[in-house]
Amino acid sequence: MSSGAGLESLVDQTISVITNDGRNIVGVLKGFDQATNIILDESHERVYSTKAGVQQLVLGLYIIRGDNISIVGELDEELDANLDLSKLRAHPLKPVIH
Amino acid sequence: MDCTKQSLKSWSNIENRHRRIALTGNEIENSSDLRESEREIFCYAATLADPEISTPVLRSVPWNMLPLSLLKTAQGHPMLVELKNGETYNGHLVNCDTWMNIHLREVICTSKDGDRFWRMPECYIRGNTIKYLRVPDEVIDKVQEETKSRADRKPPGVGRGRGRGREDSTSGGRPAKGMGGRGLDDGGAKGMGGGRGRGGAGGRTGGSRGTGRGR
Repeated sequence: MSSGAGLESLVDQTISVITNDGRNIVGVLKGFDQATNIILDESHERVYSTKAGVQQLVLGLYIIRGDNISIVGELDEELDANLDLSKLRAHPLKPVIH
Repeated sequence: MDCTKQSLKSWSNIENRHRRIALTGNEIENSSDLRESEREIFCYAATLADPEISTPVLRSVPWNMLPLSLLKTAQGHPMLVELKNGETYNGHLVNCDTWMNIHLREVICTSKDGDRFWRMPECYIRGNTIKYLRVPDEVIDKVQEETKSRADRKPPGVGRGRGRGREDSTSGGRPAKGMGGRGLDDGGAKGMGGGRGRGGAGGRTGGSRGTGRGR
């Protein structure tokens, strides 16, 4: 879609962010800057566990500092809607080690 | 995005009253160092300026809001700041700067494990210690209002140190604060802004190394 390799093409789309402390935050990308600081609207955190299904914590409007971001990925909303998160078990991610 | 080359080319053919916008479009197209988002902003702003030359494609170009603009807009609002060390600070934003350093009032600090609390009248947080900020939802709507009205007032591309000084009327506004360090244009800008306290251009180009620390 976009010719650039940046996040331009993801603005106003739902994205999934993995942070350095191992959290997974899903929300609508509203903006970003050169330092990869990003604005996430209507965001929620997905908390993974091996004992229970995925918990979703509502976070709202977030500014995440670029220093703390490992991965930004596009979220396939159709695929995501078909996931049954309550049945999904997974190990939580470990924090990044610098 | 779809709104770049072809549409800008066709704009450049538009005569008379569209000419300035079309010219700007050409410049933007030809300058390889402009980021894609800036072209998009240009496209978007141009559609705001003149709906007659816009197309549905151009209208739907998303607006990249800058995180620091959102933060600036959040002044006076309550917010939560989590630091990299896990401490969180709840307070009202007094001020912030381009490094994300922030000044909070009426603060409650919570330890990493969440079992100890400290109340303090105010605190100042260095930007690079921040992990994230949680901002009230309604703040995002206020940014959009501000950015739109700004785009209405000024044609895009002004103050970028580009464009051979077309528009004399705006040159006094905030010359070359954006990029600095680019040839003749900057020289002129420095001359004009020289008498003012904060002289953006000088700070970025030559003198920044010494002056920043000295104070």
